Amino acid sequence: MSRSIVLLGGPDSGKTNYVGRVWPALDAGTGSLHAAVQVEDIRFVLEVTDHLNSGSFAPRSEHADERRDFEVVVASEKGGEQTNIVIPDISGELWHHAAEQGEVTAELMTEMHSADGAMLFVRVLSEAHVQPLNWVTSKKLLAKLGNAEDKGMPTQVMLCELLRFLEASLSQRMGGEPPRVSIAVTAWDLVDPGTFEKGPKAWLEKEYPIFAGRLEDIAEIELRVFGISVVGGDLKSDAECREDVQENGLDGRGWVAVEDETGRWRKDGDLTLPIAWAVGT
Amino acid sequence: MSSACNFEGCTVGETGSCALERDPETCANRVGNEVATPGDPAVVPSEASGGGGSFAIGAPVLERPAGMSSFPSSRTLGPDAISRMMASRYVTVVGILGDPESGKTACLASIYLMISNAKLDGWRFADSKSLMAFEDIARGAREWDQGNPPQQMTVHTELSDERRPGFLHLRLVRDADGRRFDLALPDLPGEWTTELVGTSRTDRFEFLKAAEAIWIVVDGRTLENKERRQSVVLRVGQLAGRLDAMFDGKVPKLMLVVTHRDSGELSQAVTDRLSAELAKRSMSATVIPVASFSDDDDQAKPGFGLGELIAATTTSTLPPVDFWPPSDPPNGARSYTGYRGDR
Repeated sequence: MSRSIVLLGGPDSGKTNYVGRVWPALDAGTGSLHAAVQVEDIRFVLEVTDHLNSGSFAPRSEHADERRDFEVVVASEKGGEQTNIVIPDISGELWHHAAEQGEVTAELMTEMHSADGAMLFVRVLSEAHVQPLNWVTSKKLLAKLGNAEDKGMPTQVMLCELLRFLEASLSQRMGGEPPRVSIAVTAWDLVDPGTFEKGPKAWLEKEYPIFAGRLEDIAEIELRVFGISVVGGDLKSDAECREDVQENGLDGRGWVAVEDETGRWRKDGDLTLPIAWAVGT
Repeated sequence: MSSACNFEGCTVGETGSCALERDPETCANRVGNEVATPGDPAVVPSEASGGGGSFAIGAPVLERPAGMSSFPSSRTLGPDAISRMMASRYVTVVGILGDPESGKTACLASIYLMISNAKLDGWRFADSKSLMAFEDIARGAREWDQGNPPQQMTVHTELSDERRPGFLHLRLVRDADGRRFDLALPDLPGEWTTELVGTSRTDRFEFLKAAEAIWIVVDGRTLENKERRQSVVLRVGQLAGRLDAMFDGKVPKLMLVVTHRDSGELSQAVTDRLSAELAKRSMSATVIPVASFSDDDDQAKPGFGLGELIAATTTSTLPPVDFWPPSDPPNGARSYTGYRGDR
């Protein structure tokens, strides 16, 4: 049976690095999902994994020439039900454009309609973050003063629009259950311990009040928020982390922050969790 | 007959397959496949078929453009979209009236800014079906066509470069009790109000009949200007009169939204004058001073009064009803004996 999940998020939201890290995790088969059959074309993920292994994050993928989709058959247990996951590689710029214009290519629309799950990415301290308008900027824009620095659509508005697109397009899961969307807050290792304890949901409320409000007011989609760190540190500024990756590889590095039954946030080494939850295996 | 084939009714150009089940590559009827006889003008390949030779004949001339599919738009909503929404949940429709330049749009923009920066005291954002319209308005990206304002409400949501009159939707959560309120705020050109006052043109305001509250937006600076004050007050009175006629005396609660609070406080004399003007038609209104933007933060911060405005709009004017009041019999009332005694 073929099912697909869509990965979406604006520019510099951590999609590519996650895909590059989750493939070795699926291949190792230690998490809740594992690759059931050998994947034919793994050039794209290998390239990203190469970057991570060499001790740097993959460059932003809008520079890539063509779309490279990654397709993998996964199962939750040996010999269990197999699910084909298609992860279309769409650059963040394209999603940003889609949110601004309210349209995507017909091909992508078909893919979104056939998918029954998604992962929406947002990154802590992203370079592409756009603040909501404030009174000073808006007043200048309204008065047509011309010198207002208009940075374009605020990140939280883009996220709300992407969520609205998912609401309008995703199909129901087996048994008429609503589609699931994992909200992935990436680079979650960058936040201080206090913020970590409160969890990514509280962080979203503070940083993106509109988006957080929207997450609370959605009936057609089942949502869950995860914090993600693909290698458990910042390869750019944390020399220790970089050396450890170069020395010992990616195995055992990286984690997902999940909320347990008591409402406490803990780190889980299983990087496939957000996908596993979205496909509902 | 197409230009590529001599056979009447050839289908290759349109469908790519031959109705006579011949191979277009070798069919003798096809222009390019004819045995060339020197000097026959029909055989000379035309310029248009170009370098592709016989292979290109019948093939599409242009590449198919990448088709785009649109999601439902989140710009201004038409009255029918609001009706559909009202069918599924309680929506508070607000009528927003006011002359051009009175600050209606600035009010809407500031409410949006308050909510997107989580600054609206007592309220949180939950949803908006017209998020892009709010974004456009706060950005000043769309303007009314100067001197030629649109004549109708937007019929359905559409993507257009022009600003269309229509509703903005906002769902807010009240912090105090977690209750959700759906507000439908119309974004209309001020000329409509001017025409309503001047010539009693009410056809475009049919939607007001569903309104729970009406905001009459007045520029506070004109009220403080002694030369213009009385005429503004008179116009507010006339507008109230029009509303009274339109609603047949049952006007929903009125709110006088006095903008530009940052340029000074409204004097008591003006407020009294406004109340007196409305009282002539035995109407009353709550006066709410607001500052959508601010030039003078000491007088009023940007967004001043908007929380109060939303609160006043959503609170019912009816006295609170005790739902299911306790009906325990008072001690020693002997109700049963009393009941029997009445028979």
